Amino acid sequence: MTAIRRWQIALVAVGVLLLLLGGLTLINDVNPKRYLGLAAWLLGALVIHDGIISLTVFGANVAMRKTGGRLRIPLPALLILQGALVVAGIMTLIVVPAALKKSIGTGNDTLLPLDYGLHLVVFYAALAVVTALSLAVYAVVRRRRRPVRSA
Amino acid sequence: MIMESLQTVLNGLRRSLAAPSRTPRMAVVIGRLLGIAFLLCFGTGLFSHFLQDPLPWMVFPTRPVFLYQVTQGIHITAGILCFPLLFAKLYIVFPELFQTPAVRSFPHFLERASIAVFVSTSIVQIVTGLLNTYQWYALFPFPFRQTHYALSFVIVGSLAIHIAVKLDVIAKHWRSSAGAVAEPVEAPGISARSITGLATRPTLTSSHTRNAVIRVEGVTGRLFAWIDSTPRPELRTSRRGFLAIVGVASAAVVALTAGQSFRLLDGANLFGARKQGVGPNSLPVNRTATAAKVRDAASDPAWALTVSNGATSATFTRAELLALPQREVELPIACVEGWSQTATWRGVRLGDLVDSVGGRGGSSIRATSLEQNSSYAIMHMGPEYVRDDLTLVALELNGETLDLDHGYPARMIAPGRPGVLQTKWLSTLEVL
Repeated sequence: MTAIRRWQIALVAVGVLLLLLGGLTLINDVNPKRYLGLAAWLLGALVIHDGIISLTVFGANVAMRKTGGRLRIPLPALLILQGALVVAGIMTLIVVPAALKKSIGTGNDTLLPLDYGLHLVVFYAALAVVTALSLAVYAVVRRRRRPVRSA
Repeated sequence: MIMESLQTVLNGLRRSLAAPSRTPRMAVVIGRLLGIAFLLCFGTGLFSHFLQDPLPWMVFPTRPVFLYQVTQGIHITAGILCFPLLFAKLYIVFPELFQTPAVRSFPHFLERASIAVFVSTSIVQIVTGLLNTYQWYALFPFPFRQTHYALSFVIVGSLAIHIAVKLDVIAKHWRSSAGAVAEPVEAPGISARSITGLATRPTLTSSHTRNAVIRVEGVTGRLFAWIDSTPRPELRTSRRGFLAIVGVASAAVVALTAGQSFRLLDGANLFGARKQGVGPNSLPVNRTATAAKVRDAASDPAWALTVSNGATSATFTRAELLALPQREVELPIACVEGWSQTATWRGVRLGDLVDSVGGRGGSSIRATSLEQNSSYAIMHMGPEYVRDDLTLVALELNGETLDLDHGYPARMIAPGRPGVLQTKWLSTLEVL
């Protein structure tokens, strides 16, 4: 038996034990009436991620590659733009619920005390500036490299 | 026939999804980081769980005083970090979703099922964890703490099984090598020609069903051909770009939220659920006196703290407590929700109060709050905390009288314990 095989067996054993422990804890600590709601969340997570977010990202990626190809935008520039969109997207996912919860109302003024909507707009603006600067730096570097190559 | 065309569509989808960053090597690189983040969350989470629900034999360290502040700060920050890392990992392996045949054998079915469980529990865990820091409980139809605890075992168990299944791939791609990173994974047995070949219109037959299939194949074929004609990105630049994007996104979410847990990043705290220094006595509040329904009982001038040890008992009004020797300590208050802040507390040493009723060295105590209907209204404290010099029945906070929302007339403060155990609006202390 190889070392890898031994590790695999050990890992599967530990994994199955932990899964059982998780299942037992769920049965002990969570009222069965809540299982349906939990199942809906677990299934919903797959549907929203695999069905909506991933395919949207895929579509956006193809569209950007297509447009980039047509406009002859170099790949690094395209990646800088895509990166900015990804960073903005993830931050939006994390911050928008905070802004929403704050607008609905919180238990006290010290929970969610910041102006999340405004901060998000400031963040987008800063991200746009950084992205523009990165593109500018890239353009300069690219222009400087060219004469060296032709020389 | 329908299965065949479905397979063609799945293969086409997989091919079109292939990207330079979607390689086994990249899955290993991001997977390692995500695995570390998961294990950090699991370890710190277990520590927090057992601090609140200790097994009978458990004794906890009281130093360094910032221990829980750091472990729970790491728990929440690593949890937030999981957002970019998990999305990156799922992005890399997304084409695997469309593998054909969908199920090859029973072990393969088990593998795919375990991955489905792993992915969905991971997403639910980090999303509900984040929403919990916003105290948005109305959104989930299950109890947060119990579910979060149970799911953590399911996730780490699935992680172990996932690592076992992929161990060959992980071992092969643990170190970067020129050969291993050359080409992205592609759907087996499918060439660009067989996909683009579909773009030419096949002749329709007399069978109605077959014609429908041909039409579908025609449309999807042309779609995939259109996608495939997209310029293929240069590999190395693409991969570096991908890693840079994951790095920047991770740095951004941590830098702009972790100020709620770590003072060093307070200046950059744009998006944290709490802000240091904001609140009565310049400190955030988790549960207000109004929410705990103690406003009247806690403001009652006739309030007195009862300290008992078996038949011996003593009562102390606030004035009497203030007349006892006072001690000032610098201790953090660290919430299970991850925010924390160091503050100056002034009050009577718990050990002195226990002594006043003849409590012995190794005794633990039970503290009861004026609060009703809360699982934290009764709190047990082990001897390691009771006899610690820094553990106080606090009467003042940051140089002012303790605010009603911070536990006036008197509250507990001990080193290295979760905020929910720093019982507010004290009513009785029983030596056990």
